[in-house]
Amino acid sequence: MSMLRTIKPKNARVKRALAAREPQVVENEKTAIFVRGQSTSEIVRNVMKDLYALKQPHAINFSRKNDIHPFEDTSSLEFFANKNDASLFVTGLHSKKRPHNLVFTRMFDGRVLDMMELGVEGFKSMGEFDSPKSSVGIRPLMVFHSDLFDTHPKYQLVKSFLLDFYNGHALSEIPLIGGLEHVISITAGPLPQTEGLDLENDKNLPKIHLRVYTVKLLASGSKIPKTQLTEMGPSIDFSLRRVQDADEEMLKMSMKRPKLAKSDVESGLGKKKKNIETDSMGDKVGKLHLDRQDLSKMQGRKMKGLKVRKVPAASDGEMQVDNDEE
Amino acid sequence: MDVTQQLADYAAATTTAVLDRPNPIITDAGLLAAFDNTPVDADEYGSNLNPHLLALTLTSTQALISSLFALPTKSTSSGPITLLPTPATLLPREKPLPKPKPLTKWERFAKEKGISHKKKEKHVWDEEKQEWVARWGKDGKNREKEGQWLHEVKAGEDADLDPASTARSDRKARIAKNQKQQAANIAAAANQSSTSTSASASSRGVSTLSQEQKKNLRERRKEELHRSMLLSKTATASLGKYDKAIENEPKVKGVKRKFEANVTPTSGKSEKENALDVLHRLETGVGKVKKSKKGGEGDEGGLNVRKAVRFQGKVDRVAGGGAGGKKGGKRK
Repeated sequence: MSMLRTIKPKNARVKRALAAREPQVVENEKTAIFVRGQSTSEIVRNVMKDLYALKQPHAINFSRKNDIHPFEDTSSLEFFANKNDASLFVTGLHSKKRPHNLVFTRMFDGRVLDMMELGVEGFKSMGEFDSPKSSVGIRPLMVFHSDLFDTHPKYQLVKSFLLDFYNGHALSEIPLIGGLEHVISITAGPLPQTEGLDLENDKNLPKIHLRVYTVKLLASGSKIPKTQLTEMGPSIDFSLRRVQDADEEMLKMSMKRPKLAKSDVESGLGKKKKNIETDSMGDKVGKLHLDRQDLSKMQGRKMKGLKVRKVPAASDGEMQVDNDEE
Repeated sequence: MDVTQQLADYAAATTTAVLDRPNPIITDAGLLAAFDNTPVDADEYGSNLNPHLLALTLTSTQALISSLFALPTKSTSSGPITLLPTPATLLPREKPLPKPKPLTKWERFAKEKGISHKKKEKHVWDEEKQEWVARWGKDGKNREKEGQWLHEVKAGEDADLDPASTARSDRKARIAKNQKQQAANIAAAANQSSTSTSASASSRGVSTLSQEQKKNLRERRKEELHRSMLLSKTATASLGKYDKAIENEPKVKGVKRKFEANVTPTSGKSEKENALDVLHRLETGVGKVKKSKKGGEGDEGGLNVRKAVRFQGKVDRVAGGGAGGKKGGKRK
């Protein structure tokens, strides 16, 4: 942060661009930066290329080597994040100790939130599959298989990371016909059947398999179509390595949701309010339910003959008498 | 095997939802995601991995697709569009929630008084020209007086008064005032945010106190001054009754002179004892402010050792530096 000079906008265009980088209530899609470390392997580069292709157009590829070791020092990642307004990173590394290494980093507010390290064990690139590919910018479906993604803290992080990476930005609407082209399938292997297994132990953690298929919806005779899948690649087998959990305070901040707008609340989001809605003109419309009307007190037609006379008629009589005397 | 048979087999393998799941597949339509929480079958996983993964994906994708097709749609010119619900899975945001914009001084005042904002139209109707003119800016209504060729001179105005330039300077003064207020608002907002976010800002040497804190400080200082003024009044026997009053000086309340009783009371101290008490107090110095003891400052010695050492050190340094450093600076 300190390395970046603060820009004072001199014209409206720059001002707008800076305003777009300010925190927003409804955020735009997270941008991912793909960056290479000092030494990478062919496999890692190809894996990154394919992951980049899947993340397009919200991805930036850095073609040069950078002396980055995310688990040791995150300052350069933070610099890149602020400079490019990006919050996801994939760093490719390769060393004897950790061959074909990918480090996924997530940022919050320009600082590192959490990290996970995946090793590439098996890889078949997108080009090796002789099949049609999905178009750029199409939102994938994502499916996760295995109970580990629900129970094991490390795999929970993997799930959160990968889901955030490709599908983190919530859409409000999507055309189902033509809007669904591919599905990313993430599967964790079964736990090894050894007695006294320690879940916290890093060794022998099941592999994670990433497969990508194109989806074809076939007519089934009912409203819900039948699905046909063809593998389009890439097909990657990951092993789970190091993981850095998020700082609790930071995670709490990042999980805060905005308060819902009034019109949203009335239309049923959050706590639903009964009988109040906002119409298409933005006017608030309320529905009232009244009790049954009490008809006994209703004023009917007034006629002389129906007049209710007061009971003591004695005074009237006296007056009459007086008149007669005069 | 027949080619058609092979194709049919392939179609069957890639289309049918082949697996029965004991746990229902959880779908999150808002994120277009599905979660199958059934443990992966170890035998299938070990023997034929890729077909098993395909079968798993088919099963869960089919579940996801059917949940998506059950959602409400709206029709558009380019076909039906499905409305997605809000995601059930919580994912971290990229940036914190935006902070509410700090109110300006006027906005704060208006809020307090319940004044609602009335938006001014940018254009106003000009009766003479019979057209809409800008309220401000180029050919603005607020510059009307400056371009006018005839001005009304009111009684009692100077003969050499230039109404056009007066109007212009008035307008410029209003702009300057507004800019000053704007700057003050921005500064106040910056102060507020810096005190709320970080305490490290004080190292920059700029006052980072908020308006409230400054106000509190001012109040405290005022109280202190008031108290010391009251104390100073006790110096005179009349308790400041005949002192020259300062303008707008607050009236002192609750301070009363005390007199000795004319007649010596029977109980308690006698007059002689009282007088002796006063003498004793003068002698021993009861009630005097004691000098604070520092470093080597003792009662008996009267020498401030620390100060002496410091002084000597300074002298030495000046002597040493002058001798070593400068060439022609030596004194004869």
